[in-house]
Amino acid sequence: MAGESVISVRHLKTYFYTEKRCNKAVNDVSFEIRKGKCLCVVGESGCGKSVTASSIMQLLPRLSRIEEGEIIYHTHDKGDVVLSDLGKNSKEMRAYRGKNIAMIFQDPMTALNPVFKVGNQIAENIRQHDKCSKAEARKRTLELLKQMGIPEPERRIDQYPHEYSGGMRQRAMIALAMSCSPDVLLADEPTTALDVTIQAQIFELMTKLKEENDTAILLITHDMGVVCEMADDVLVMYMGNVVESGTAREVLKNPKHPYTRALLASILVLGKGKDQNIQPIRGMTPNPYNRPPGCQFEPRCDFACEACRERMPDEEVIEGTTHMIRCCNWREACKNDGE
Amino acid sequence: MGKYVLKRFLTFIPMTLLMSFLIYGGLELVPGDILNTMFPPDILAQMSPAELDVIRASYGLDQPFIVRYFRWLFRVFQGDWGKSMASGVPVKDVIAQRLPITLELALTGLVISAILGSVLGILAALHKGEVIDMILTAIGVVGQAIPQFFFGMVAILIFALKLKWLPIGGRTTPQMTHWYEHLRYLILPAMVLGLTQTSSVMRYARSSMLESMNRDFVKTARSKGIPEWKVNLVHGFRVTMTPVIILIAFRLPALISTSMVIENVFSWPGIGMTFKDAVTAQNYPMVMMIALIIVVMVMLMSLLMDIFTRIIDPRVRLQ
Amino acid sequence: MKQLTRAEKHLYRKFDKIREREESGANAKRKKSSRAVAKFFSNRLAIVGLVIFSVIFLACVFAPLITKYQAETVDLRNILKAPSGIHWFGTDKVGRDVFSRVLYGGRYSILIASLGALGGAVIGVLLGSYAGYKGGWFDKVFMRIGEALTSFPTMILNLLFVTIMGRSMRNLIIIFTITGWVGIFRLARATMLSIREEEYVQALHAFGLNDAIICFKHMLPNALAPIIVNITINMASMILEEAALSFLGLGVPMQIPTWGNILNASQDMYTLEKAWWMWAPVGTTITLFVMSINFIGDGIRDMTDTSVQG
Repeated sequence: MAGESVISVRHLKTYFYTEKRCNKAVNDVSFEIRKGKCLCVVGESGCGKSVTASSIMQLLPRLSRIEEGEIIYHTHDKGDVVLSDLGKNSKEMRAYRGKNIAMIFQDPMTALNPVFKVGNQIAENIRQHDKCSKAEARKRTLELLKQMGIPEPERRIDQYPHEYSGGMRQRAMIALAMSCSPDVLLADEPTTALDVTIQAQIFELMTKLKEENDTAILLITHDMGVVCEMADDVLVMYMGNVVESGTAREVLKNPKHPYTRALLASILVLGKGKDQNIQPIRGMTPNPYNRPPGCQFEPRCDFACEACRERMPDEEVIEGTTHMIRCCNWREACKNDGE
Repeated sequence: MGKYVLKRFLTFIPMTLLMSFLIYGGLELVPGDILNTMFPPDILAQMSPAELDVIRASYGLDQPFIVRYFRWLFRVFQGDWGKSMASGVPVKDVIAQRLPITLELALTGLVISAILGSVLGILAALHKGEVIDMILTAIGVVGQAIPQFFFGMVAILIFALKLKWLPIGGRTTPQMTHWYEHLRYLILPAMVLGLTQTSSVMRYARSSMLESMNRDFVKTARSKGIPEWKVNLVHGFRVTMTPVIILIAFRLPALISTSMVIENVFSWPGIGMTFKDAVTAQNYPMVMMIALIIVVMVMLMSLLMDIFTRIIDPRVRLQ
Repeated sequence: MKQLTRAEKHLYRKFDKIREREESGANAKRKKSSRAVAKFFSNRLAIVGLVIFSVIFLACVFAPLITKYQAETVDLRNILKAPSGIHWFGTDKVGRDVFSRVLYGGRYSILIASLGALGGAVIGVLLGSYAGYKGGWFDKVFMRIGEALTSFPTMILNLLFVTIMGRSMRNLIIIFTITGWVGIFRLARATMLSIREEEYVQALHAFGLNDAIICFKHMLPNALAPIIVNITINMASMILEEAALSFLGLGVPMQIPTWGNILNASQDMYTLEKAWWMWAPVGTTITLFVMSINFIGDGIRDMTDTSVQG
C-alpha cells in the first residue's frame, strides 16, 4: 500500500568528533519515509542532511556515532526492526544494507570503484544478498542496465567506470542500488555533479521506479526546483534541526518558518522575467563548533526574540495537518500572508 | 599501449646516453695522470716523455675527450668492457659473476619488504589510533632512522654470535652440498635488508590505505552490505596496491644502496662489495661499468614499472 | 541495547568525554594564539624530537665542558674498558674515551650533514626558482640533470664522487651539496611555475620590477615550509650517508672521529661480540638523532598543512 510508513526516524542525534571537539551534526530529527512516496530533505550544505541518510544505513565515518533516537524499519515479514540498535557492521545490519535499503551518492565519478568493471560491481550486490550463480547475476545485471536505459548493455557491462559518462555512471549507480529491489532508496544529491539535461533524465528514472516498484525514496537536495518537481513530502533542515516539515503542498505553498520562507524568497523562478525581487538570506551559517545556544537560525532571523535566544523552540504541528514548524514566532512571520 | 611503450623507450635511450656521459666525464675529472694507475711508479720513472707519448697514443689517450668517449661507448656496445686494473680479469666476467649474487640478496629483501610492508601498513591503517597502530608506527619510525649497517651488526651479534643460529656472513662454504644450506647464509642479510626497507613501504601502505578507505567507493561497497573484511581487502586494498607497487619500484635505488652496505656487513660477495673494493683501489674501468650497469638496470626497471602500472590500473590505460 | 565491538567501546568512551566537555561549554572559549606554532607544540612527537635534537646537538657543541677527555688522547693503560663512572661509554682499543669520541664525532657528523643540506638547499632554491621563472633550455637541462642524479642509487653516486674527488671532509660536504639539491630544486621550480602565472606577479612585472626580486620575494615565502621540511629530510639522510660511507672506509679520513668512523673501527667480530660499548652507543646516538630530525620535520609539515585541522 502506498503511503504507509517504511522507515521512521525518531529524535535522531548523530554527532561527529574530532580530537577535541564534538559537532552536533544531526540534533533531534524525526520523520517518516513513506512507501511509494518521495521525501525531499532540503537545506544548505553542512545542515546534516547527508548525515541523516548515512545514519539510516549506519554508514557513518569512524569518528561519529548515533547518540540518541531510533531508526525503525517496518518490514513486511519480521515486524519492526530498530536499525539504530544493530551493530554498525553486524551481520543483521549488512543483510538490510543493499537489499532492503539502498543508497546512491552525490558524485558517481568517485562512488564507483575505478579498478573494477561496472557489471561486476553491480553483480557483487546481487550475489551478496541472493545466493545465485555468477551467470545468473550477470543476466540480472544486464537486465538492470537495460532497464536503466544504458545503451549497448552487453558491451557496457564489461567496461570500467572511467569509460562511462557522468550520467551513465549515475544510471549504473541506480542500477546497483535497485538490483535487489529495495523498499527504500536513499539518494544523496544524486544529480549535483551532473549536467542539467542529464539531471532531468535521472529524476524521470527515479520517478518511474517509485511508481512501478512502490519504492520509498529519500531525496537529499539543496535545489528548491528539484523539491518542487519531485517531492511528496518535504523536510527543511537547518544546522542539524528540522525546522519545518509536511507534505509538499503544505510546505511549499504555505511556508511558515522564517528560514523556509527566506529560502524560497532567495531563488529565481524561471519564466518570471528579469525583474524578480531576490532576497538573499543575510549573514552566514554559524560555525558548527560555535553554535548559537537557542534556535540555530536566530542570528539571521528577522523575527528573533529573547525566547529564541535561550532555547530551541519545540515542534509544533498545525492541527488537522502534518505540517510541523519549529519556531515560536511563525505566526508573526506569516502575518501578512494571504492578503 | 604499443605507442606508449615506444615513446617511453625513446626517452630511455637519451637518458642512458646522458648517464654514460656523466659517468665517463666524471671519472675523466679525476686529478692525476691515468698512466700512474696503469703502471708501477718505478717503471714510469724510467720512461722518457717520448715513450710515454707513444703509450698514450696506443691507448688513444692523446685524442680529444669527446672522441675517447664515443670510442669507449662503442666498445661497451661491442661487449668490450675493459679489464679490471687490479686483477686483469675482464670487467664483464666479474659483473656476470657478481651481479646474480647481488640480485639474489636484493630480490629476497625486496619480496620480504613488499609483503611485510604492505601487510603491516594495511593492518595499521585498519586499526588506526589503536595500540597495534602505535606500535607499528613506532617500529617504522625507528626503522627509518637506524643506520642499516648498525642494524646488521646488532643482528649478527644476536643471531650469529650469541644464539649461533645462523652464520655471521659469507655466502657459501666449500663443503656445501644442498641448496638449503645456502639458504642459511641468505636468511640474515636478506632479513636485515628487507626489514630496513619495510618501514617506508609500511608507512606508505598505511597512508595509502587510509586514503582509499576514505574514498566514496568504499562507502558504496559498504552500502552493499558486504562484510567489512571484503570491503577492506577487495575494494580498499586493490586500489591501495597500485601506488604501493609504484613506491616499491621507486625505492629500487634505495634498495640497491642499502644492499651495497649490507653486503659489506655480511661479506656477501656481490656487486656491492666489488664496487666498494674497486672504489677503494681506484679501479676505474670496474667503477665505471658497475655504476653504468646499475643505473641502466634502475632505469630499465622504472620503464617496466611504468608499463606494468598501465596494465594493472585501468584508469591510466586509455590516457 | 546496541552491540559494540571492542574497538568501538574504546572509541565511544573517548566520545563521551569530549561530549561532556562540549556540553559543559568548556570548549567554546579557547584562547586564540598563533595557530601554526600552537599546532607544532601540540604535536607531542615534534616536542620529543626537538628535545632529543637539542640535547645531542648541545652536548656535541659544548663537548669540552661535558667531558674532560679528548677524542684523540690515547691511553694504553686503559684499553677496552667497559663503561664505568670514569669512562661513561668505556674505552676503545687504544684507550680513547668512547663517550668523548661520540660527542666530538657528532660535531663533525652534524657539521657535514647540515652544511651539505644547506648547500643543497641554496643551490636548489637558486636554480629551481630561476628555472621555474625562465623556463626554456635552462629549465630543461637542469630537469634532465636532476632526473639523471635521482636515477642513481645514492650510495653508487656518492662513491662515484668519492672516486672522482678523493676522500676528505670538505669533499664530502661538496658531494652532499651536489647530490642534495634536486628535491629542493623541483620544489622551488614547481612553486615558481605556479605563481608565475598569477596576476599579481604579472602586475609586478608591468611595474618594471626586477626579475630577481619578484622571483625571491614572492616565491620564497610560498615555498618556505616545504623547503625547510626538505632540508630536515636531507639532513637526516646525510647523517646516515656519512655514517655508511665512513663505515665502508670511503667517507671522511679515519683520523677524524665522525660517527661513521667510530663505527668503522668496530667492525671486527671480536669488538662486535665482546666490546659492544664501542659501537652500540654511537649507533644508538645516530638513530636517536636522525629520528629527532624526522620528528621535527614531520611537525613542521603538519604545522603548515592546512588540510589537517587539529
